[in-house]
Amino acid sequence: MQFKKLAIVTFLLSSLFTSSVFAQEEVATARQIVDNFQTELVQVMKEGKKLGYNGRYDKLEPAVSNSHDLPKIARIVVGKEWEKLSEEQQKKLTDVFSKLSIASYAHNFKEFGGESFEIDSEEETKMGGVVIHSHLTIPDDKPVKFDYMLKEKGASWRIINIIANGVSDLALKRSEYTAILQRDGFDSLITKINEKIDNYAKQ
Amino acid sequence: MIKKTLATFICGALFVSNVAAQTKSNDPYESFNRSMYDFNNNVDAYFAAPIANGYKFVTPQFVQTGVFNFFNNLKGINVVLNDLLQAKLPQSASDLGRFTVNSTVGLGGFIDVAKQLGLEQNDEDFDQTLAVWGVPQGAYLVLPLVGPMTMRSAPASAFDTAANPASYASIPAYYISAPIQFMSAVNARANAEGALKFINEAAMDKYIFTRESFLQWRKNLENDGKVSASLEDDLMADEKTTFLKWRDYSKQFEITSQSFSSVAQKFDLAVQNYVQANSKIEQLKQKHF
Repeated sequence: MQFKKLAIVTFLLSSLFTSSVFAQEEVATARQIVDNFQTELVQVMKEGKKLGYNGRYDKLEPAVSNSHDLPKIARIVVGKEWEKLSEEQQKKLTDVFSKLSIASYAHNFKEFGGESFEIDSEEETKMGGVVIHSHLTIPDDKPVKFDYMLKEKGASWRIINIIANGVSDLALKRSEYTAILQRDGFDSLITKINEKIDNYAKQ
Repeated sequence: MIKKTLATFICGALFVSNVAAQTKSNDPYESFNRSMYDFNNNVDAYFAAPIANGYKFVTPQFVQTGVFNFFNNLKGINVVLNDLLQAKLPQSASDLGRFTVNSTVGLGGFIDVAKQLGLEQNDEDFDQTLAVWGVPQGAYLVLPLVGPMTMRSAPASAFDTAANPASYASIPAYYISAPIQFMSAVNARANAEGALKFINEAAMDKYIFTRESFLQWRKNLENDGKVSASLEDDLMADEKTTFLKWRDYSKQFEITSQSFSSVAQKFDLAVQNYVQANSKIEQLKQKHF
């Protein structure tokens, strides 16, 4: 009897322990999300030449998708125009925009020259976001400040915006995308994005 | 009572739409600016870029770095002046030390000794001083041969030019001044190469890309590189909150626009001349390239 009780307690305790370990794995903090992404990015840079553009793209696709909220970013960059798009157009935009984001990483972070990322601090915004302040150290050059804005998504956090040396990627893209949508229309925007992806792949 | 509420509502709605129209962009002179942007791009593509690329091709890297350091050091006096005007006293001491060390031990500025001593360079100019003094940024402007500016930075740059010894090279003799001014321009263009390549690769609309990154870069300098978490919220915020912020910006914009409106009128007149010049360059291009 005594033994049986002990067995049950042990079983309960071990199942509790397992579930808590699982929970810890699932809920990465905003800081961890950024840290993991930067580590993966530097790793890709180190293997950059060997991997080639396609290799870098394939490695970065899961890394970017699992750390950035690409569908949300695609929605924000077109501002109010999002509501005017059909469901099919919204899907198309999210799709090509995601490809462009990964392609631009694969193109711009292609080789390694001793660069390293370091997280400096984090700050909560009034509306429940988190800003992670970090910088990229480049040998024999000025460091570049990278500030990441993250929002909670489900049980975890996702990057919504990157501000490099004070220039917000999201604000910049939003000005461009909304202007092109209003001036030239949806198809033209998609064509332009696809051109950019092709150019990144070529170089 | 109902009438009054209705009237208030209509007035409110009018105000909202008015503000929305005004704040749609911080670029009320877009058509002027776009022609200037094209003009500058043409000048760049057919004059500045070939010279700068030639310079980069034939000049050894250490000479290029020396030339960059020389002109960069000359800006030091202006940085110290603006540190003082913004009451950044410890920073002014550090920048003065930087300038002195580089001008003496650094052989007139050609070698950046201060950097090796750990004296980091600060970026200050009169436009940032005006920002500290509360003058709003104002509308975006693209000036011929000068490039992106704002209603505030255009007059402010006169101060910066006056506080840079490179501007006075013309005093001794033209055969000294012309090469110095020329080298200054070539050096500036050669150093912009990386940024211009990035714009070419990343921009979907180069004009908007340049405008937005320029305005954000200036704002960031004003804030001494600090990224505000609340501004980040604005991007994500619903229309209502954004509107309140926009209303403040639009008021600031109106004040600056009024204070510089006479300057703006002159620019409007100047447009015609530059549009004509631009089309002449186009013609030349077709003939010779």
